[in-house]
Amino acid sequence: MFLNLHLVVLFPFLLAVLTLVFGRRLGRHLGWALVPFPLACALYLLSLVPRVASGESFSATWNWVPSLGLSFSLHLDGFSLLFALLISGIGALVTLFSIHYLDPDEDFGRFYLYILLFMGAMFGVVLSDNLLALYMFWEITSISSFLLIGFWHEEADSRAGALKSMLVTMAGGLSLLAGIVLMGIAGGSFSIRELADKGALVQGHPYYTAIVVLVLLGAFTKSAQAPFHLWLPGAMAAPTPVSAYLHSATMVKAGIFLTAKMAMILGGTGLWFGLVAGVGMVTMLLGSYLAVQQRDLKGLLAFSTVSQLGFMMAMFGYGTPEAQSAGVFHLLNHALFKGSLFLLVGIIDHQTGTREIDKLSGLRRAMPFTFAMMALSALSMAGVPLLNGFVSKEMILAALLEPPFGHNLFTVALPLLGVAGSVFTTFYSLILAHRLFFGPVTETTPEKPREGSWGLLFSPALLTLLVVVLGIAPGLVEHGIVGSAVSALRGEPVAVHLALWHGFNLPLLMSLSAILLGLILYLWQEPVLAGLRRVSSVRWNVNALYDGLLQFLEVGSDRVTRRMMTGYLRDYLVLILGFTALITGYALARSGIFGFDWRRLALTEISWTEFAVIVAMVVGAITAVVARQRIAVALGVATSGFMVAVLWVLWHAPDLALTQTIVETVSVVPLFLVFAYLPRLRQQPFRPKVEGINVFVSVLLGAVVTGFLLLSYGHQLFPSIGQFFVDNSLPLGGGRNVVNVILVDFRALDTMGEITVLTLVGLAVAALVRSRREPADIDEKKEMSGVMINPLILPAFSRLLFYLILIYTIYIFFRGHHNPGGGFIAGVMAASALIIWALAYERPAAMALVPVEPRRLMGSGLLLVASLGLGAVLFGYPFLTQGFTEIELPWFGRVELATALLFDLGVWLVVIGSIKGIVMELSDGRPIAHETGASHGREESGRS
Amino acid sequence: MNNLVVAPIVIPLITGAVLIFSPRRLSFQRWVSVASCLIGLVVNIALMHRVWNQGIQPFYAGNLPAPFGITFVADLMSAAFVTVTSVTALAVLFFSIYSLDEQVEQSYYYAAFQFLLVGVNGSFLTGDIFNLFVFFEVMLLASYLLISLGGRRLQMQETLKYALINNVASSFFLLAVAGLYRTYGTLNMADLAQRISASDSNGWLSAIGIVFLVVFGVKAAMVPLHFWLPQPYFAGPTAIVAFFGGILTKVGVYTILRTFTLIFVEETAWTHGRVLLPLALLTMVVGIIGAIAQTDFKKVLAFHIVSQIGYMLMGIAFLTPLALAGTIIFVAHQMIVKSGLFLCAGAAERISGTTDLKEMSGLMTTHGGLAALFFLAALALVGVPPLSGFFGKLTLIRAGLEAQRFFSVALAITVGLGTLFSMIKIFRLSFWGEVRGERRLSRESVEYKRMMLPVGALVVLAVAMGLGAEHVLTYAQAAAEQILDRRAYVAAVLPGIGLDLGF
Repeated sequence: MFLNLHLVVLFPFLLAVLTLVFGRRLGRHLGWALVPFPLACALYLLSLVPRVASGESFSATWNWVPSLGLSFSLHLDGFSLLFALLISGIGALVTLFSIHYLDPDEDFGRFYLYILLFMGAMFGVVLSDNLLALYMFWEITSISSFLLIGFWHEEADSRAGALKSMLVTMAGGLSLLAGIVLMGIAGGSFSIRELADKGALVQGHPYYTAIVVLVLLGAFTKSAQAPFHLWLPGAMAAPTPVSAYLHSATMVKAGIFLTAKMAMILGGTGLWFGLVAGVGMVTMLLGSYLAVQQRDLKGLLAFSTVSQLGFMMAMFGYGTPEAQSAGVFHLLNHALFKGSLFLLVGIIDHQTGTREIDKLSGLRRAMPFTFAMMALSALSMAGVPLLNGFVSKEMILAALLEPPFGHNLFTVALPLLGVAGSVFTTFYSLILAHRLFFGPVTETTPEKPREGSWGLLFSPALLTLLVVVLGIAPGLVEHGIVGSAVSALRGEPVAVHLALWHGFNLPLLMSLSAILLGLILYLWQEPVLAGLRRVSSVRWNVNALYDGLLQFLEVGSDRVTRRMMTGYLRDYLVLILGFTALITGYALARSGIFGFDWRRLALTEISWTEFAVIVAMVVGAITAVVARQRIAVALGVATSGFMVAVLWVLWHAPDLALTQTIVETVSVVPLFLVFAYLPRLRQQPFRPKVEGINVFVSVLLGAVVTGFLLLSYGHQLFPSIGQFFVDNSLPLGGGRNVVNVILVDFRALDTMGEITVLTLVGLAVAALVRSRREPADIDEKKEMSGVMINPLILPAFSRLLFYLILIYTIYIFFRGHHNPGGGFIAGVMAASALIIWALAYERPAAMALVPVEPRRLMGSGLLLVASLGLGAVLFGYPFLTQGFTEIELPWFGRVELATALLFDLGVWLVVIGSIKGIVMELSDGRPIAHETGASHGREESGRS
Repeated sequence: MNNLVVAPIVIPLITGAVLIFSPRRLSFQRWVSVASCLIGLVVNIALMHRVWNQGIQPFYAGNLPAPFGITFVADLMSAAFVTVTSVTALAVLFFSIYSLDEQVEQSYYYAAFQFLLVGVNGSFLTGDIFNLFVFFEVMLLASYLLISLGGRRLQMQETLKYALINNVASSFFLLAVAGLYRTYGTLNMADLAQRISASDSNGWLSAIGIVFLVVFGVKAAMVPLHFWLPQPYFAGPTAIVAFFGGILTKVGVYTILRTFTLIFVEETAWTHGRVLLPLALLTMVVGIIGAIAQTDFKKVLAFHIVSQIGYMLMGIAFLTPLALAGTIIFVAHQMIVKSGLFLCAGAAERISGTTDLKEMSGLMTTHGGLAALFFLAALALVGVPPLSGFFGKLTLIRAGLEAQRFFSVALAITVGLGTLFSMIKIFRLSFWGEVRGERRLSRESVEYKRMMLPVGALVVLAVAMGLGAEHVLTYAQAAAEQILDRRAYVAAVLPGIGLDLGF
């Protein structure tokens, strides 16, 4: 059992994969290869009927995600069996029908792939005991439905219909998921059977109302209950066999299935009854009312399906044994007569080329078999005696008269809605049974009508046969099918009685009067329809709502997004900085910035020199902001930078001061080199509002940052670990220069990261400049034109300067471990020597001084550092462990050998390589290519 | 002595350094990169395995004990993230080989890619806030280089904005680091955690945390700090954008995940509940609104990144073990699926010469394989069971409902519908419909088939993550419990120090 049930669910998916692989080769014969599977399933399930009828049920469990309560556990009871029979039986017929229905050059592989996906998923829905698994299959049915509706995706109608059905059913699906999770929280399980035992627990839980609403939203959307019925007509863009299978016989009934099953847990309350029965009966009337007005045959059938689904839905809201029996039996009957009707409409469409009711008449002679079957099925739908629809409809009307909680206005109204709906049902059934086939023989169809082939007729014939057989002898399914289904739903054996004749009673009267009134309306159809259509043409209906919502979503989101993503850096920065200032400011305020004891900061200790330096720094920064020329901006920024260096000097941080000074110096050069390529700064007109916002945000942010720093200063909770480095730089790092030891030893990994950054900068400049450079056809003489400095004095000095700096660099490098200096500073200095040379002489000459290509310098530096790290690993130490020792050398005295020195050499290589690369690329004097015709971009960057 | 922990950083570093030497020897560049990534993948799996069996793995760089040296820490979460990163990196590398112009490939593409991996893996593994800053810089510089390769004007323009905004964030990073160091005197995360639990800052720590949230929020593209993201992702070479889309923003999420479970936990009701949660929901909504508005393949995906970040932040804001597990699954799932989707966009661009959805319709008719892979990846993103996205989503929904965060969950579900809508839009407009626009690559071409290989691998992984969800979930739950157990983290990193300072 375990194996068989899982096979039923999983085999279609396996077949789907096979179809993907072999489908194209088989073409239309694929259908023949696939028919045996659903057929075998149907026969197997039929063979289980007697055992299920005797009260047996079958379970099989695979654990899947126990942590979330999701298991692939299946349970076959009478109710699931009925559904499984429909899925497999009608599945087989539809597979067969499609072979003859689709054009021979259609993509059969894709078609059957989707059908198989659906079949497996639908089996999963009706057989799953685990609600999360059920949800999974539920979503897969929505997706396969989407794909099938969009099968002819070249048509705009198909695409729109597919989208609509997907959105509506998946929205419901998400709601269902939320309901399921809440139910799991309330009931402590995701197993339907376990939850059914805990019904009282769930119903007493505060989440009960939410659960009911969420779950029912899922069921109503799937079963196209008002106001979610809007997707089903759109789904008619699918090939007709698909409509027969998914959109009338099986998938749309998944909502009914779920409601019936969930009634075991959630049902039996006024809320449940009111919602399910109310929505069901309103849908019943609305659907049939809309169905009569359709001009397209499939549209008519779609609304008729909506209406009939409402009928069944209401029964599971009532939940009495009589109502459940009626619902279950009607479910079966509807699958039979509606499946047959869809296939027959498909035949008419196939044979005449149209489905428009107004173009079709008098088909009786040309299509006699179709006519006979259509008449029987349609009359069954109308509830004419001796056909199966009559029996179940009678039962439904009887059940409607017996509400579970006694009578009131609501429960009296429901049967009246049922009768009114039935009037329209008779009306549209007559359109199908009579109007298409009688009257003058049509001449307006695209193709001359003729009877369909036997391949087409076979499937509806079988269904119609069952319609008649069950109409005459409903007792055939009384116990085995309907009885065991109802027993499963009630959790106890229930004796169901299906009889043709119940005597003269109120339901019969209702039934007959509906048929009679429907007949009268049909005879007067012209004025009636004209009137109805006038009423229905109101602008406000759910379709307009859907379209409007979609439109609003797309237009609205476009507007919002455009408003936000202006493309201007200025706007982005204002928003980001403004947000940062506000939220940080708020955090500061609530952490007590206003109650802070500012005296703790001892601001009076600031010396006058410090104050002066800071003023200069501020002046530099302001200059950079207000300056109208790039040179002035650069000088302003540089001023600020050098003032920082002065501060380091004042605070006795020679290493930092040295680094800051040399970096500021060297970074001016690439900046000026770049200026040579840039257009003149555009003068912006003064815009008070814009500038005002800029100033406001800047000042606000400045205030917040200042506050943050002051609070940081005053909030020292723990001593810094910094003392460790001071104490240990000599014993652990072998150097007296703490800064250097931190850089090359204690935190060498940071340095490794930073030289990677430097390398990337060098590479980025090279890659970018080269990608935009015009071919090298430029006169070499023009080189350096951008940066010619006094050609007389500089060369004379620069030679001296170059060698002086170089010698000093070596000194700085080696003293670094104990005194201010080190690889980074030495590297930048050496690079600056190169730059001076390049400024004084010609670039090639300067570059030739270091005959190695920058990328090789950087690469070697990185490799040196990395291999030092790996060396430690070889010796069994953690990556980047440094070592040092001192040896005695003649002449030099005690010399220290430290791996840190090699590490510093790596840094040195990367620094010099990176700077050389940048200067070399930027100073070769060749113009940079500009893309033509894109002035917009420049304007934008100017504004930003 | 756990050199394995640092291997995910050293391997790409050395590879990158080697690749610098010969940018023009393309086959050398390509296959050395692939080989390095493969080795990286194996190493990362080994690391994950070791963490699973032996618990948190600290590594003390330079043999200097924590908190004084730089510490690396591999726990279940970071090991998983570096592993998924290397899988994605492999797929993107393969795709790059078959989709990039040679000129781009020769511009240090592969070297920069390796350095990018250094930055990403370093960010995942470091246990030191300042070191995190350094790896952020490595990552950013590499990304500037990669995203501007090709040098079209639009690209340069957008890269400039991207770089400037991220540099602003970097300065805030330094500001926040200064505040943290002044207050607690240390930047080692474990040391910080134990010092914080041994003291009370009266809300001051939360203020520092907010600055960090801004910094990491910029990286993660949290609204309203997301402005830098969509445009450069649209302009850059699609192969590399796929990696960015999958991985880079998740590094931002990871850092929030790490610091807001380990360090900024003094006032979670305020930092998580009142600040992070609203921002998470805003991120979700603004992202999806942006995605719905777009009609360009890459732009839709770029805005989705923002929206999905919102889900992850929401999980962090809930701060329950289940929610964090959901977030971890979500991050891993997004790394794979988002990269896969961008690769689909890249393939579609290669085939049709455009990324405008309306200009390439009918792709399903001409390139069914791509359509199928895209559809599966899209459904995985939407969170349709049994694909990877579902389990992240389900876990988050369940965690939210258990925490009685009804509004957040309702919003998350609604946004999920928006995700569906916009993914279906791509499918509807460019894969369905009559064949329109040019087709530069036929279904039979070798190039197309090779491009489908990495896409297919990522999709298979997304399916496998769903079918094997129990394993994923068990791992994620263990990881979530691990990151919530601060005492164990401190004990693992600072053996013998942290235990007596009361937790």
